[in-house]
Amino acid sequence: MAENINNRRSWMIVPAHDPAAGTSYGEIKPDVVVLDLEYSVPPKAKEAARAGLGALVKKIGDSQTAVFVRIDRDTRWADVRAAMHRGITGIVFPGPDAPEEVAELDELITAMERERGIDVGATELVLMLESAKGFWHADAIAQASPRVSALGVGRIDLTMRLGPVPQDEFRLGRFLMTRALVAARMLGKQPLGALWRPGSRGGVASQPVTAKAAAEARLMGFTGCLCATPEQVMPVNDGFSSV
Amino acid sequence: MQHDAEKPLFVGEKPMPKYIRRSVLALSIDDAQLGEKAYASWADAIILDCPKQAGRDWQADLKARMPAAIHAAAKGGAEVFVRIHRDCAAAELDATVFAGIVGVVLTGVTAADDISAVAKGLDALEISRGIASGALEIDVEVDTAGAVWHALAIARASERFGAFYVNEAALCRNLGMQSAPRLAFDPLEYIKSQLITVATAVGGQAMGMSYPLGLTQGNADEANVKKAVRLARDTGFKGAMCPHAAWINICNEGFRPTAEEAAYYVKVIEVFAEGIKRGMASVPIDGKMIDVPVDLRAKLYLKWANRAQARDDAKARAHERQGN
Repeated sequence: MAENINNRRSWMIVPAHDPAAGTSYGEIKPDVVVLDLEYSVPPKAKEAARAGLGALVKKIGDSQTAVFVRIDRDTRWADVRAAMHRGITGIVFPGPDAPEEVAELDELITAMERERGIDVGATELVLMLESAKGFWHADAIAQASPRVSALGVGRIDLTMRLGPVPQDEFRLGRFLMTRALVAARMLGKQPLGALWRPGSRGGVASQPVTAKAAAEARLMGFTGCLCATPEQVMPVNDGFSSV
Repeated sequence: MQHDAEKPLFVGEKPMPKYIRRSVLALSIDDAQLGEKAYASWADAIILDCPKQAGRDWQADLKARMPAAIHAAAKGGAEVFVRIHRDCAAAELDATVFAGIVGVVLTGVTAADDISAVAKGLDALEISRGIASGALEIDVEVDTAGAVWHALAIARASERFGAFYVNEAALCRNLGMQSAPRLAFDPLEYIKSQLITVATAVGGQAMGMSYPLGLTQGNADEANVKKAVRLARDTGFKGAMCPHAAWINICNEGFRPTAEEAAYYVKVIEVFAEGIKRGMASVPIDGKMIDVPVDLRAKLYLKWANRAQARDDAKARAHERQGN
């Protein structure tokens, strides 16, 4: 973790099964490429996506771009095994509920580092908080592994698991962002998150809405966020850079 | 209508607020006009900042000067505190704690252990400096993420805990937030809510100001400061640090029930008492239903108003004594 982790503004999610996964980032230039094994990959394409990770991680890693793999919480063990190749910067773990889950993943990553000839301890872990338990125990969860470099606020799962259907303003959002921010700053981790406005959530957020959300998040103390679409990368970079 | 300030209104009643500290002014002991400023301020409390003189034995220097500085700061009837930092708390306590102070305000706190260490230091100093055992209070200036996250453990760490002070500018820096109020909402809203709730839960109180004045500490016009104080009071703060002398009177008047509110509470209590005598469980006043919880709230708020008035009377007596 030699570089300043707070310089990673845009974390562009790229479906790992997408044939363009190994090239699209070159033009868009996100600060981080997140190869996805979670929602953006159809169930039938998961195996192919896992099988292709080795080449993708190597290619992107060789270009000096930080490359993470977002695993699926329910299949995290198989996903981590598939993701751990030389060139990987880290794993994005969505929805941790307890410190034990993070510690277990840490052990698996260590074993895979040894097996694949990766420097032991070099692989980072980014935790995206998506549940009531996760937010409440954020400090213990983030301290469960020295690999944890960032704490983020999830979005789609978060709203589903906490109940409020965000037809209108997601009123819990600011409270949860505050809690994640405090935990991250207390522990010296990068705080990731931005709150999209109603009617333009997640991947469908327009560029102006994305820029506004990113700028607001920066004022709140966050330094980057996930980008569900390539179009969000530029406004996110701008929003988290402007003074 | 007067109520006995010491007599609980109901079992388990928490005094509201615990202390009448509406306005708090920080002054340096190096200030040549310390006594005059403290006297003229009418602040409920003075916090003494004790700069360390370079090139000198700062502990010996402070020890020699603190008793007189504490005496000077108390001239106007204010409670006197000293502000110390967690990183050198033991040495600063030894150099600044003398008879006459009410407690210490601790900055840089990140965990409950910080409070325990200071409490232990105060235990020893109370014995060696002739201060009643357990008398000195520990207040916490919240300026780190750790203090926010561990607020409950911090407040529970010692019986001496008295109050949280929200240092918005320092806290924003620590959290990586912008310290200019460019957001349409208060980014510290939930943190303030948490600190108010936690402090009250352990029998203490929280001190702070509403957004954006709490962040900017600007010298706004009287109407805006009044509005901000009213909002802070209604949020749950019981007083605030005053960066400008002009804030003090506004805080003294604002962090208490207004005269109109007090008059209304008296009316509520009287009308409800009459209703009870007539065998009723609730009575209407101006179209509003008055029942037991409303009556109790009126009594509590009236008690608060009376205690605030008593605090003002005490300061007035202190001024008279100085005048004589």
